[in-house]
Amino acid sequence: MRRDSETLALCDRFFDAIEQKDFATVERCYAPEAIVWHSHDCLYQARESNLETLRDGMNRLKKMRYRNRRIHVFEGGFVQQHTLFVTHPDDFVGQMDVCFVAYTRDGMISRAYEYFDAGQIEKFLGPAGRGARVSREG
Amino acid sequence: MTDGEIRELCNRFFDAYQDRRIDALAEIYAPDCSVWHNVFGRETTGAENLAALPKSYEGQRRRSYDDRTINTFEGGFVIQYTLAGVQHNGHRGALWICIVGLCRDGKITRIDEYMDSSKFAAWAGAGRKGREA
Repeated sequence: MRRDSETLALCDRFFDAIEQKDFATVERCYAPEAIVWHSHDCLYQARESNLETLRDGMNRLKKMRYRNRRIHVFEGGFVQQHTLFVTHPDDFVGQMDVCFVAYTRDGMISRAYEYFDAGQIEKFLGPAGRGARVSREG
Repeated sequence: MTDGEIRELCNRFFDAYQDRRIDALAEIYAPDCSVWHNVFGRETTGAENLAALPKSYEGQRRRSYDDRTINTFEGGFVIQYTLAGVQHNGHRGALWICIVGLCRDGKITRIDEYMDSSKFAAWAGAGRKGREA
């Protein structure tokens, strides 16, 4: 039996917690075996590594906002489409359209897939991010 | 529409896309269908989308829509899949795509497509002249 309201609540809790920089709640949304796949590298990222990425973003960025959230619940998970707006330390506001597909169990996210256009990464990172990226790649 | 009907519609849509059946696609799109692509950041009508297909198909010898993972919800579906293509020079490429589709009365009313344009060059085999080993 579907429990759409519980899944919707989990989805909102997860993204609200990132916005509010509430790392403890973000962590509780992930099941112990959670893995996150990203469309830019087609790799699964382990739970701890993904949480570290999120923690870094929450610490470094002035703001993270998930706008225009459109959520659909299916048997065993949900899909959320949103535009992620991030305010960088230099006040550049980046944005990215994202589709987040999550598979859930026992009220936690067990596996997630994140689709976005890495070809538009400069719209997200801004000029400073581009410099940092080139530096890291160099 | 039931879950089964939505799933069948989704598969019929991708089979038609794969087989270049523009006539079948025209039957599947509702008259008010809109199609949004994250790469272009804009919406087109279903009719505009269909009109662009013949030119789009010219790029590859063959395309297949593989590894389809379909989940249905009230009034629609989300599909994660691999678009595999064979270019005219034999180069094989792939794109990993997610589409959220909304349905009504056996037809698709809206499509939101998410793909990664940074992989387009690899998909097309840019710079490659011959068939890969």
